[in-house]
Amino acid sequence: MTIRTLTDWTGVVGTVMLGATAADGGTRSVSYTLGGESDLPFLGDPPSGHIPLVAFELCDDPAIWPAVVREYAGDLSNDPGKWAKAAEADYGADLVRLSLTSTRRKDFSGYAALKTTIQEVLRKCRLPLIVEGSNDPSIDSEVFAVCGEAGEGERLLLGTAEAGRYRSVAAAAMAYHHAVVAQSPIDINLAKQLNILLHEIGVPSDRIVIDPYTGALGYGFEYSYSVMERIRYSALKGDTDLAMPMISAPTDSLTVKEVRDAAPAARQDIAVKWEYYTALSSAIAGAAIVCVRHPRTVPLLKDTLAALWSGQTPGKV
Amino acid sequence: MPLKALDIYKLLPRKNCKECGDPTCLTFAMKLASGKGEVDKCPYLDDNARNILGASTRPPIRKVKIGVGERSFAVGDELVQFRHEKSFYHPPGILVAVSDLWPAERIREVTIRVRDEVLTRVGADLLLNGIVVRNSSGEGPAFRRAVEAVEEVADLPEVLMAADPAVMEQGLSVCGHFRPLIHAAARENYKGMAALAKNYGCPLAVRATAPEELEELVGLCTGEGVDNLVLDTGSSSLHQFLNVSTAVRQQAITRTTPAFGYPVFLDAAEYGLQDGALVTGILRYASVIAVEEVDRASLLALLTLRQNIYTDPQKPIQMTPGIYRVGTPGPDAPVLLTVNFSLTYFTLQGYLESSRIPCFMLIVDTEGLSVLTAVASGKLSEGLVKESIKKFELEKAVAHKTLIIPGYAAPLSGKIEEETGWKVLVGPRDAAEIGEFLGKEWKR
Ligand code: B12
Ligand code: SF4
Repeated sequence: MTIRTLTDWTGVVGTVMLGATAADGGTRSVSYTLGGESDLPFLGDPPSGHIPLVAFELCDDPAIWPAVVREYAGDLSNDPGKWAKAAEADYGADLVRLSLTSTRRKDFSGYAALKTTIQEVLRKCRLPLIVEGSNDPSIDSEVFAVCGEAGEGERLLLGTAEAGRYRSVAAAAMAYHHAVVAQSPIDINLAKQLNILLHEIGVPSDRIVIDPYTGALGYGFEYSYSVMERIRYSALKGDTDLAMPMISAPTDSLTVKEVRDAAPAARQDIAVKWEYYTALSSAIAGAAIVCVRHPRTVPLLKDTLAALWSGQTPGKV
Repeated sequence: MPLKALDIYKLLPRKNCKECGDPTCLTFAMKLASGKGEVDKCPYLDDNARNILGASTRPPIRKVKIGVGERSFAVGDELVQFRHEKSFYHPPGILVAVSDLWPAERIREVTIRVRDEVLTRVGADLLLNGIVVRNSSGEGPAFRRAVEAVEEVADLPEVLMAADPAVMEQGLSVCGHFRPLIHAAARENYKGMAALAKNYGCPLAVRATAPEELEELVGLCTGEGVDNLVLDTGSSSLHQFLNVSTAVRQQAITRTTPAFGYPVFLDAAEYGLQDGALVTGILRYASVIAVEEVDRASLLALLTLRQNIYTDPQKPIQMTPGIYRVGTPGPDAPVLLTVNFSLTYFTLQGYLESSRIPCFMLIVDTEGLSVLTAVASGKLSEGLVKESIKKFELEKAVAHKTLIIPGYAAPLSGKIEEETGWKVLVGPRDAAEIGEFLGKEWKR
């Protein structure tokens, strides 16, 4: 194939390392480099940068987790360690995202349990880990400190920094050598501003992963899609404040009306497809990591990403 | 290079006769400059002007219409590579394949499903677009019978896929006057296919596996007098499709390779990953997509994705603010406040209808923002609520002064009460719980 796109850019998406193997002082079986792209997603033979990674998302308190997933995963959903192991061995995920939903409970104080959970997940599953901490500013500092420490040496991706609350997570990441998820509500300028704020308190670009916020398919995805495209495009055009890899983690994909109101016999299939369409579209828009919650979505996505990438070696180093 | 409006204006007759449908030559010139007008609408152009304008104001991607009647659709006529630069205008047609090896009964079943299956989202009816008839038998009579089976039950747009012009003609003898897409002209059969396209006035797909060959083939077919073309890149993998289709779009809109200024065809069944091919095609510039039967789960997701991507990113779909009725509410019926984002309106309205409690919806103008977004940005305010109650004369519609507000607007409840003098009931956050809420809380 000789046809080439006409590119007028020279920028490159910066890289971020996730996961530490024994060689780097960690215990992960693999580590990943995100970023490094010098063109639009999947363009080129071989494409630049790295194939997008599929993260399986699980939680430590399934009460607020989508019903379709709880139904499918059964008992596993009550045991983050076993669940993470299944994500590695059975679902074939590239990495795991542990969402600490227990911190959403009223008057949360189970910091010690968080630590145990994270260590348990790290022990049972050897994939690089993303940890999604609290979303309540009043407990942020303690939660993130626990997360940071529990994963010390493993080069986690810690989330989430937002414009109004980024100091605690950034401090924990810097103290224990992790990277940070920087989330802004579907707005390229806010994404840029947050990165600048993070730079100002000493977080370097190679520790920042942009989360432009992914609205679910049919519920805001049309905005998220274009914001991801714009961020990637800006990076290629040379805006270094936006030249970080992106993560897409729609939180509402499996609780949309289409899934909830589906006939029971069709619900699992609809959930998988809904998530798959969203995640694949995000990867094509430029996400380096796509997060999904239904186990069945993982292999489907991985096959398609490989086909789009054309059999290049995955982004493992 | 595209011409500027003033350059174009200088080439026009400057009669301001309005025959082009525009009030003045200048507005017509502006339309041409933005790629939205048709040169031929001005009857007074001299040949020189027509030549210059024809080449540079023609839309960079030709608009091609497939099918006739209600379900016909047009593709192409796009102006940008990224939807955030403007918008994408013509969503890809998605057509379901049948094979001429199948019994007629099965072909009719698939056709009926494509004809009738609807997904209603945000007030729009989303549909599959038509039928692809594949000539798997290699024979003319079987192909003709398959097309007949489709025609027996529906007036849907069709793509006829056959490699042999003689076989193609058998199909066209049934539906040739309904503008099916003829697929495909290749190096070895283009003369025959082009002749058929010309005779029947049908659009023609051209297929070549190398981009240079595709460019050449387009030249050969236009040379035969066929202008309504669709490009099949003959890609061997999904990766290659994405690459070639992106390059084709880019070279078309920059007018670098005029031969690529046509809509693109994708056979989503070709790569063994139909859902992946559908996503790739919808996002990366496919305009006519052939699929094998899709199950309901894929259908929901793919029609929603297509709707999302082809929604103007600058303009959320909006409702006209005002008072809306669910059922036939009396003066004691509840009033629910919500925003004028269509998705919000239709979601809430759907749940209200299934609750079977007649009520009023007070839709306020948040410029198309959802509840949470409107609250976060300050667009939804007590002032707006007060103004809307007055403007839409809510006090004439009901005999009470209680307003139910969305759960996400709870922080505004006190201020709304103060500003409007209405009692405020904070509803659930999730509209799915509205029926239960009204059943319990609405006692009048
Ligand atoms: C898409 C989206 C956008 C789009 C706008 C889409 C639109 N037309 O509104 C864009 C990209 C433009 C956008 C912008 C912003 N956004 Co925004 N956006 C979203 C997103 C992803 C989805 C919103 C949506 O479509 N929801 C679906 C509709 C149907 O929901 P809804 O209107 O709330 O209706 C539901 C309920 O409220 C209820 N309901 C509705 N009416 C009624 C009435 C009654 C009586 C009852 C009982 C119930 C009820 O029923 C519906 C279904 O359950 C949300 C995230 C999320 N999960 O909600 C963020 C979100 C709402 N945005 C957010 C923010 C901060 C913003 C900005 C302010 C950011 C900024 N500073 O620029 C801007 C503001 C816009 C502006 N112009 O200034 C935040 C809000 C944070 C907060 N909790 O306050 C969110 C939650 C994202 C986040 N987590 O950060 N956004
Ligand atoms: S038809 Fe031609 S001459 Fe008449 S107003 Fe339009 S552009 Fe001008």
